[in-house]
Amino acid sequence: MTRAATRRCDVAVIGAGMAGMAATLFAAQRGLSCVQVGNAGGLLFASGLLDLLGVHPVAPGRAWQDPFAALAALARDEPGHPLARVGATAIRDAFDAFVAALGAAGLPYAPSTGRNQAMPTSLGTIKTTYAVPRSMAAGVAALQARPPCLLVELRGLREFSARQVVAALGASWPGLRYRQIELPGMAAAAELYAAHVARGLEAREARERTIDLVKPLVGDARAVGFPAVLGLARGADVHAAFEAALGVPVFEMPTMPTSVPGLRLLAALEAAVAMRGVHRYPRAEVRTLTFGAGGAAATLELAGVARNEGSERIVAGAVVLATGRFSGRGLVADRARVREAILGLPVAQPDSRAAWHRRDFLDPAGHAINRAGLVVDDAWRPLDERGRPAWPRLHAIGSILAHQDWMRAKCGSGLAIATAWAAIDHAAGALGAAGAG
Amino acid sequence: MAPALLHAVLAASIALCVAGVVWRVSGWLRLGIGPDARDATPWQRARAVLASLAAALASRRAPRVAGTFLLDALLLRRLFARQKLRAFAHLLVVAGITLLVLLHALAPIVTARLFPAYQPTLEPWLFLRNVLGAAALVGLAVLVAGRARDRARDGLPRRPFATAFAALLGIVLVSGFLLEAHKIASPRAFQRMADQFAAAAEPAELAALRALWARDYGVAFDARRDPVATTVTEQGIRLHESACASCHARPTSAFVSWPLARMMAPVTAFLDATHADAWLLHLHVLACLLGLATLPFTTFLHTLAAPASLLLDAVARSGASPGRAPAAAARAVRRTLAPDACVRCGLCDAGCSVAPLARFLDNPLLLPAHKLVATGAVARGRLPLSGDGDGRPAREAVRIADGAFLCTDCGRCTRACPVGLDLADLWDAGRGDLAASGLPGTATWMQARPAAAWADALARRAVPRSPDAVDATGALLSTDRRAFARCVQCQTCTNVCPVVAHGAMAATGVDLTPQKVMNLLRLGLADLALGSRMVWTCAACYQCQQHCPEGIRVADIMCELRSLAVERLGAVREERA
Amino acid sequence: MRYALFLGCKIPAALPAYECSTRAVLGHLGVTLVDLDFACCGYPARSYGRDAFVVAALSNLARAERAGLDVLTPCTCCYGTLRHAMRFFAEDAGLRSRVARALADQGLAWSGTTGVVHLLTVLAGTVGIARLTDAVRAPRTGLHVAAQYGCHALRPSDVTGIDNPMAPTIFETLIRATGATPVDWPRRLDCCGDPLHEADAALSGHMTRTKIVDAVESGAGTICTACPHCHLRFDAARATAPVPEVRTLLYTQLLGLAMGLAPGALGLPAGAEGSPGQGAAGAALAR
Repeated sequence: MTRAATRRCDVAVIGAGMAGMAATLFAAQRGLSCVQVGNAGGLLFASGLLDLLGVHPVAPGRAWQDPFAALAALARDEPGHPLARVGATAIRDAFDAFVAALGAAGLPYAPSTGRNQAMPTSLGTIKTTYAVPRSMAAGVAALQARPPCLLVELRGLREFSARQVVAALGASWPGLRYRQIELPGMAAAAELYAAHVARGLEAREARERTIDLVKPLVGDARAVGFPAVLGLARGADVHAAFEAALGVPVFEMPTMPTSVPGLRLLAALEAAVAMRGVHRYPRAEVRTLTFGAGGAAATLELAGVARNEGSERIVAGAVVLATGRFSGRGLVADRARVREAILGLPVAQPDSRAAWHRRDFLDPAGHAINRAGLVVDDAWRPLDERGRPAWPRLHAIGSILAHQDWMRAKCGSGLAIATAWAAIDHAAGALGAAGAG
Repeated sequence: MAPALLHAVLAASIALCVAGVVWRVSGWLRLGIGPDARDATPWQRARAVLASLAAALASRRAPRVAGTFLLDALLLRRLFARQKLRAFAHLLVVAGITLLVLLHALAPIVTARLFPAYQPTLEPWLFLRNVLGAAALVGLAVLVAGRARDRARDGLPRRPFATAFAALLGIVLVSGFLLEAHKIASPRAFQRMADQFAAAAEPAELAALRALWARDYGVAFDARRDPVATTVTEQGIRLHESACASCHARPTSAFVSWPLARMMAPVTAFLDATHADAWLLHLHVLACLLGLATLPFTTFLHTLAAPASLLLDAVARSGASPGRAPAAAARAVRRTLAPDACVRCGLCDAGCSVAPLARFLDNPLLLPAHKLVATGAVARGRLPLSGDGDGRPAREAVRIADGAFLCTDCGRCTRACPVGLDLADLWDAGRGDLAASGLPGTATWMQARPAAAWADALARRAVPRSPDAVDATGALLSTDRRAFARCVQCQTCTNVCPVVAHGAMAATGVDLTPQKVMNLLRLGLADLALGSRMVWTCAACYQCQQHCPEGIRVADIMCELRSLAVERLGAVREERA
Repeated sequence: MRYALFLGCKIPAALPAYECSTRAVLGHLGVTLVDLDFACCGYPARSYGRDAFVVAALSNLARAERAGLDVLTPCTCCYGTLRHAMRFFAEDAGLRSRVARALADQGLAWSGTTGVVHLLTVLAGTVGIARLTDAVRAPRTGLHVAAQYGCHALRPSDVTGIDNPMAPTIFETLIRATGATPVDWPRRLDCCGDPLHEADAALSGHMTRTKIVDAVESGAGTICTACPHCHLRFDAARATAPVPEVRTLLYTQLLGLAMGLAPGALGLPAGAEGSPGQGAAGAALAR
């Protein structure tokens, strides 16, 4: 039995987190043939909210309502920050394209206001973000207007305590109240899991009976909030059904990872990628990546591919490295140094291990090690030891990049989507010029 | 032997045979295989069988039922389809023996009535006896040789007294030929007949007669004792025609006995001196009677049981039902009849889908023929499932349980069986019996107690691993830290697990979730997971493994934990600690 | 296109229609199926011991290798089991040597060159959608079909290697080729519940019924299967508790009807070709 022939493509994307998925989508949208390698598991930790840029500078923790104004300040203070290098127009286009793709895959987002939005979370905190799923949008509005509002918690769903949210926000939101319901048919269950509840509500009978339990509790509330369990694959439909039946705006509140919105995001991106005819290797890893001299293509050898599924060898015109940081295993740390996992590209990092961390773990300025990563040129190509692009059509995007602290700047999604957009832009141009395809 | 004694022995043999048959048939009606077996009394079962038969014969399918039965039971159609040589040899034996019994053993009441001029020494009886005897002997030889080869190659279960009975049959046939040959060659026999039918003959006439008989009838006269004329004369021929010919045809058509008689010529005098005609006859008759008497107690009861099974099978296939309860009762009879009807042909074993497993696990009780023997032994109380009476299953019972629950119900054994045994139904019933005796399938058994209770029992049975040992479980994901150290307890596996999801809705629920199982591994407490409901109701749908962000092989680990538990369970089942 | 046909234990015993419809359809499409002396794929032994199940599985692959053929199976469960065995054999040297010894006891040896393919991938890939569409004479227009992939065709994808496990489209494409309309149903990738039916019948039944409700509420009148276990489980669910009205059809039957083959050749009652049928009670989720 012979193995299938080598698979050829324009762009090979290594990594299936937010950045990798975005790059794959953008490449496919431009008509480039695309192959994507990697486990999309990181998306499971997403909340569904897409941050652009929430905080700058990180040390004082200054929050911004206008992310583009924040961007301007960032460009002034940290011109080497990847977001600053993408530019506002491209960032806007990138977000629009990404959100549109999600909408087409069954995960609609509220229209962009161009400003950051404040969203109440299941912990009773307030999270600032840029793009909000439609099912959560009414929560933003409610937090702003603070009308009488009912929060519903589900007995057994331990990860969501409406009582805690009311306790945390109630001081500044007097009309906020909560009630607990027991989901029909789940009386015997001691512990519920969000994904199972979400799926369960997609069945008509369960959904109608649940709505019937909530209806009498609405009273004078002008909005009703739930934990994010309103459907999984049919979230939009379930949300609409609740709103129609309860007669008031309904919103979901993001829960702790791994959450239903994370599962929805994963499913939507996988579907979006599949819709565009991209070949996925979901549980494969890149064993070797070698580059042809001059204008020749790159070759990837994969491990973890099912025998006689497709090929284990990919030949690509361009490669996008979106392998993430330490949890994604794009960067690997030993006792002394951080190295890049696949090619051993030079990683910008503190000179010695002693300089990795500040003394205080929760130091608001963050730690030097958080800003370690790959340095790229204007075409988003990682540099080798001599400071030149490692390969003419190798790009690096997302959290693997140096000079950013996405967790503290609240710019994770923005970083991923924007750099993906910019890199694919360059890759497409280079491929067009090189005549590859 | 005096006729009175002979008749007494004959009567005793028949009585013993009948008693044995009655006893075995009563076993079919009394014994129970399957949890529903006791639902019908023996009388009800007997009536149910008759009712089923009546229903089938009254239905439109009656001709087919009768035809199927005749083809399969008498002409061995199914066996012919699968093993031509064996079927043919079997037909030879059955036809030969049956016709010999009718035409030869029962000649006075059968053949003589049909053919008033019957004499055993006339044609076509001489020829027929030899043909039938030879056929039976050839068939027997083929079957015995085939069986010896099968046993050596496939390890089929032994049949009690089979060799002895086959030898007995051989003795009957061989002694018959020897007797006939001796009678052909024996001068004493000639003299006896001459004294009776040619008493008035002159010595010279007798000598002439002897000459004719020596030349044409193979008598081996000793010339010193009985004068034999040098040539056959008219005198001899006339005497022969008047005294002998009406009852005696030339035995040359006895193509076995005739050459045998010629070969025996040198020892005929010795045989005469020792009254071989008497002791050969005794040997022949007594061997027959012994066979008759012991038939129901050996596996050759299948001569009755197999046709019965085929008849019931044909009835079942006809689709005519006498009603639910009678159908169930008739099914119960089919089950208890099966171990007796089994001819140990080994066709079921040859087609068994799990034969490679039987071989690898060194447990022949996975194979149908062995399972059937065990089922019969259990039904007869010879192999108690619950061991020595204080509730512990016998070691053999545990192996039987393994065999029963590894069966895939593929039905090949049932389709292969030439005597129409409903093996699929038997295995189902057997599993019910095992469950009722405290030996259900492993998954069920494991859920009888909570995980913590199992942890103690199983922890003590940890099997030390040697790298070279033939190891049922292989390299372990559940003890190699690299396989699960990356687990960050994100609960993704739990969130995508359908067993956890539906457990909440179906109110059965699991005790641990997948991510809790992984946590136990990280804590080095895998033993606590071995007996958990989660592990034993895992559907192996692989959602967990597919989604895990750290690439942990969660479902593979679940399966591995199960096989670890099974590995230790063997001893635990026996001890019921 | 020649394959050794691996039917497994379930199809001949409980779903002979799958065998005859597979042979009919593949024969019509010019695929040659060779019958070798196969035994059980080893699935029941997966919980018993890894060596045991790998030996059972590879006993079959060794026979196929000896005949120089790849294995084609219409049973998704067998597909997954055989491929899992191949993976364990490839990754574990100790198991490899033990299993090789056990195979040698049976007079067999396996050097790892056998391919195992699923019926659906042969139809969609090797035969090709274009040829299938050409062969369709009586398109199943108006039939709304929910595709039941079956777990072991999709997961874990580094073993099964069929399509994208989170967003597969191959079965829907195959259904479309017959002229029928595939429906999108949220639970399409869920387990049918069959593996549990001995360990916990109530739970298993709940899983199956939930899927049926989901299919019907999504507008399907037919559930199309590619595994005897899934198929029989749906049939069994209908027998034990009230479920919405839905028809179950094997893909080979759907394709065979579309190709104009006689229902009898596909294990269907006569007249099955007439009514495409649609869900009686199915109220689609309000969109």
